[in-house]
Amino acid sequence: MAIIIGENTSTIIQGITGKNASLHTKFMLEYGTKIVGGVTPGKGGQEVEGVRVYDTLHECMSEHPDATVSSVWVPPRFAKDAILEAIDSGIKTVVVITERIPIHDMLCVRQVAQEKNVLVIGGNTPGLISPEKSLVGMLPKITFQPGRIGTVARSGAVTYYLANSLNLAGFGESTSVGLGGDPILGANFEDILQLFEADEETDAVVMAGEIGGVYEEIAAPYIREMSIPVIAYIAGKAAPAGKRLGHAGAIIEGSMGTAQSKIDALRSNGAIIAETLSEIPELVKKAISKKA
Amino acid sequence: MRLYEYEAKNLFRRYNIPVLDSILVDNSSFNELDKVAYPVVVKAQVFLGGRGKAGFVQFAQNRKEAEKKVANMLGKKHGSFTIEKVLVERRIEIDRELYVSAAIDRLKHEPLMIASQKGGVEIEVVARKDPSAILKYYFKIGAKLPDFQARNIASDLGFTGAAMSVCADIVLRVFTLFVHLECKLVEINPLVVAHDGRIIALDAKVDLDEDAMFRHHELKEMGIVARHEIGELTKRERVAKAKGIPYVDLDGDIGVFPGGAGFGIAAIDLIQHYGGKPANFMDSGGAPTQEKLRAMLGLLIDNPRVKAIFGARFGGISRCDDWAKAVVQYVIENKPKKPMIMRMAGNMEEAGRKILEQAKQEHQELFKNIKIYAYDTPIEEVIKETIRIAKTQRDAGN
Repeated sequence: MAIIIGENTSTIIQGITGKNASLHTKFMLEYGTKIVGGVTPGKGGQEVEGVRVYDTLHECMSEHPDATVSSVWVPPRFAKDAILEAIDSGIKTVVVITERIPIHDMLCVRQVAQEKNVLVIGGNTPGLISPEKSLVGMLPKITFQPGRIGTVARSGAVTYYLANSLNLAGFGESTSVGLGGDPILGANFEDILQLFEADEETDAVVMAGEIGGVYEEIAAPYIREMSIPVIAYIAGKAAPAGKRLGHAGAIIEGSMGTAQSKIDALRSNGAIIAETLSEIPELVKKAISKKA
Repeated sequence: MRLYEYEAKNLFRRYNIPVLDSILVDNSSFNELDKVAYPVVVKAQVFLGGRGKAGFVQFAQNRKEAEKKVANMLGKKHGSFTIEKVLVERRIEIDRELYVSAAIDRLKHEPLMIASQKGGVEIEVVARKDPSAILKYYFKIGAKLPDFQARNIASDLGFTGAAMSVCADIVLRVFTLFVHLECKLVEINPLVVAHDGRIIALDAKVDLDEDAMFRHHELKEMGIVARHEIGELTKRERVAKAKGIPYVDLDGDIGVFPGGAGFGIAAIDLIQHYGGKPANFMDSGGAPTQEKLRAMLGLLIDNPRVKAIFGARFGGISRCDDWAKAVVQYVIENKPKKPMIMRMAGNMEEAGRKILEQAKQEHQELFKNIKIYAYDTPIEEVIKETIRIAKTQRDAGN
């Protein structure tokens, strides 16, 4: 069944005429993603990889009312407006690839998304994939194969390595979701965990967080309510305190946001903690057989 | 991005939040000390908290004493920061110390105003020991803080009558500054009631969102530009920063040439887990240019501490062919001798592989210490091999 996207999901690409967006539109189409239209204001009437470009999302939606997912690839200064346009047009899930979106913009987006009950994933997400069904974003298809493990991670490359090591151990993914690396995200971990919990084809979830922010801590209490096992990995145990590492989010501050505070919160709520990426498949195997 | 107190106070002046007249003194401007009325407070300008306890907030009765104290502070270190500037302000008599801020609650993802009658101390400590002394007023982004809410806050801070109106105005201005400049934090601690009845922001903290600064040209006009805020940079970190590469020096001997930040952090964990010592953290960002990738490699090759380089490219938005081109061009131009053990997989992998194979054939000697594995080799194996090779290099005295 997978979550959020399946083989029949109609998807729209906002900012489709950009260099990265057009290249990955090609990859997504090759993978089988049903892309029904693209939007770039001022470039209506053009085509990208055979996909029609519209000036507005409303116009695109009026011709493709079945579209439920939109992916945002516009520059950061236009991201808030593009997301609000998607929400206003009746899109149900917005996948925001754009990185470094201003914090106040994302606070506003969260407010509106909550009121309209729209799932906004990202910013700074690599997207998501339901293997052999649909791919929205720029994840490399080679590393994913169909299966019954759900994954959700803050970082793109960690998402890829995670699937890579699950596959080498004979597992596959129902859906892999990139939560995003920006400091204020649309969706929290628990929004995705809830969808996996309700999915009949997901037997276990692997979540990968990292130092900085409080998203892992916020999600922890929900794990206690779940019936499927959650294996959690937190990157950054070896990071030096007080140094800013990369992602705007990845900074260690106060008592929350450290690797230890996240691990403690997750473990005390029933998550199985993986010390390294490589031991994850073994822990998944144990958790599933224990449940069976 | 945190601002220095003097920068934050310049912003306060723009927004009509009352602060004391002050002067900024560095090694070349001691004559500024003629322009202030004594007695004064001399405050070191650093980002790190705890400057009072460290002796970097001092009183001076007259110019001579002030000059001595300023000279004493300049050049000293507070944590890893060297004190380059001090702020000198008139010393005033204080009746009450309060706390006011506009901030973002990261658990709820909502902005709020925070007020407390217990100012002048660390607000986190008050929150822990006496949570009822901290008052919170949430608001929505895009909506104005109602005037009555500002009056409520002033009233909750213990003001009545005319003083209540003055304080409510200050609260509204803090809110306006927070919203206009898209701040992460605007904090006044303490907001004081002076003996003469004036309400004044004695200290000022502003934390800006670097990703929103492109919208606020007035900051640049005020000399407020992006800077590193945590500790001082090493020489290599400065070079990296100038080239737009997030980079942190660590004390190991394995150079880490990763993709994005998330895997960069995970790679450091993995190297330590298998008994190696990373020499750095680095982040290519999404879709790095070839020029940036070459600069990243250069930082590692030029670091004498680095014995071997671990590289990983999992092509998502960052393409393997761009990565391969950058590595090849760097190797041909710079002829590095250090071993590089890397792995390349993901989008445009086939094109990347072709570029590497061709270069290897044409420049066998240059590539003899360079291994680039593919998708079928687990990343852990690549890391373990790098650690082994780094040890061999160490043992051989290279």
